[in-house]
Amino acid sequence: MEYRRLDNLEAYQLMLDSIMNLLPHSLRFILAHLPEDVQASIEEIRLRESRPLEISYQDRYAFLDESGQIVQHESQAYKPTGKDFQYVLEQLTNHSLYTYEEELRRGYITIPGGHRVGLAGRTLLDQGQVKQIRDVSSFNIRVARDLLGVGKTIVPYLYDPAARSVHHTLVISPPQQGKTTLVRDLARLVSRGEWGTAAAGALAGRKVGVVDERSELAACVKGVPRFDLGPRTDIMDGCPKAEGMMMMIRSLSPEVLVVDEIGRPEDARAIHEALHAGIRVIATAHGADYEDARQRPVLKELLNEGVFARYVILDRRKGKAAPFRVLDRQGRQLEPQR
Amino acid sequence: MLKFIGAVLIIGAAALIGFIQAAHYARRPKQIRLLISALQRMETEIIYALTPLPEAFALLGKQLAEPLASLFRLTSERLLKSHGAPLREIWQQTVQEVWKRSSMKQAEQEVVLQLGSVLGLTDRGDQVKHLRLAVSQLQAEEAESRDEQRRYEKMWKSLGVLIGALVVILMY
Repeated sequence: MEYRRLDNLEAYQLMLDSIMNLLPHSLRFILAHLPEDVQASIEEIRLRESRPLEISYQDRYAFLDESGQIVQHESQAYKPTGKDFQYVLEQLTNHSLYTYEEELRRGYITIPGGHRVGLAGRTLLDQGQVKQIRDVSSFNIRVARDLLGVGKTIVPYLYDPAARSVHHTLVISPPQQGKTTLVRDLARLVSRGEWGTAAAGALAGRKVGVVDERSELAACVKGVPRFDLGPRTDIMDGCPKAEGMMMMIRSLSPEVLVVDEIGRPEDARAIHEALHAGIRVIATAHGADYEDARQRPVLKELLNEGVFARYVILDRRKGKAAPFRVLDRQGRQLEPQR
Repeated sequence: MLKFIGAVLIIGAAALIGFIQAAHYARRPKQIRLLISALQRMETEIIYALTPLPEAFALLGKQLAEPLASLFRLTSERLLKSHGAPLREIWQQTVQEVWKRSSMKQAEQEVVLQLGSVLGLTDRGDQVKHLRLAVSQLQAEEAESRDEQRRYEKMWKSLGVLIGALVVILMY
């Protein structure tokens, strides 16, 4: 266990390095001089041109001044300049913005290490559709955390003894609650066959297919995942979810499909297709809780049909007893099990 | 006798200077043409292959002849270990170094520096426009340099020898 933790720490340092490489010296200096506990728990670094530099960490936010001190008032904070922005953009696109047109249209770029950089600025339109973001004036660097083992407590709930696989599962949570981190770990556990329950016996891992539309789950760089997703996992990187699921079903014979953030009609169709092919699905969706998810157009149908047999609701806000709840097909809470 | 050796040296030196000047006039259009073809290859890399600039430069560095090979090779190397210097600055530095060793002149350098200030900073369509603009400006320079070659190449060759001869005659 100790070894594992050390491993994690090293990996974490590597992850931070890929962010530091993006930043100009002024910002690198600021972040390097943050208190250690803050540095280790940064969730987002927000740059806005000529406006205060902000970070969010441990469910809080703070402005930073040019020496890396936390200041509560915005007027004392460091304000990234146009030059800083030019620097970040050039590093982000490897001096070649034209290779990131698709990403600029969607509004984010995934960097090595799996971190995602969201962009805002002036948009260029082409026949009413956003063609590109130009004059980028906001960067939101979301620090990806690969927490090995966060899914361990949840996996036993999802094990389906009848099928000797996982139940169809939908993870519901508001943004920034660790949805992606959780499904990544679930994919890894299922792929490796760590079911975490005696009922599973010596059941081996399952073939897992991951459709990673936004390169967040696996953080592929040139097709090779940067995160460990288990030994029996195939990844379709940067592929639209519905299409990717169909491609997986047709050609890669997965036993479990993992997708992030479903919500479009074609996603629902692809999930139905997977059901008929006998493939188990683990998906995530935005929403505050089960009832909230039921209000959303596409999810409503899927939920009412009883497609999913397990719902995992994440909520790690302060003052909550449990960081997650697991519901069954009818939305009843399941008791913790051994 | 000593005077004779001196005279031979003077004529030799003057002829050499003339030939070097002539060679510059002969090489300039060739190098500009090479530069144009390099930019056209770069256009292909950008539009069809979507190769990032550091890689595209490295590729061109291998394919082209000197002195342009070192322009692209050096730029690529410097980009990779730049730790974030903007492309524009690295390009400018490298262009100025390479131009000293080439037969190309200020006019071409201006075109290439201008290109360097937009390379990699815009989308594909825009990059292509800038590359084509640079190519057409270079083509104009190429035509002019051919014209100069025709007029001055022979002149410098004979001028060198003749000036050497003149100095020798005055000496005697």
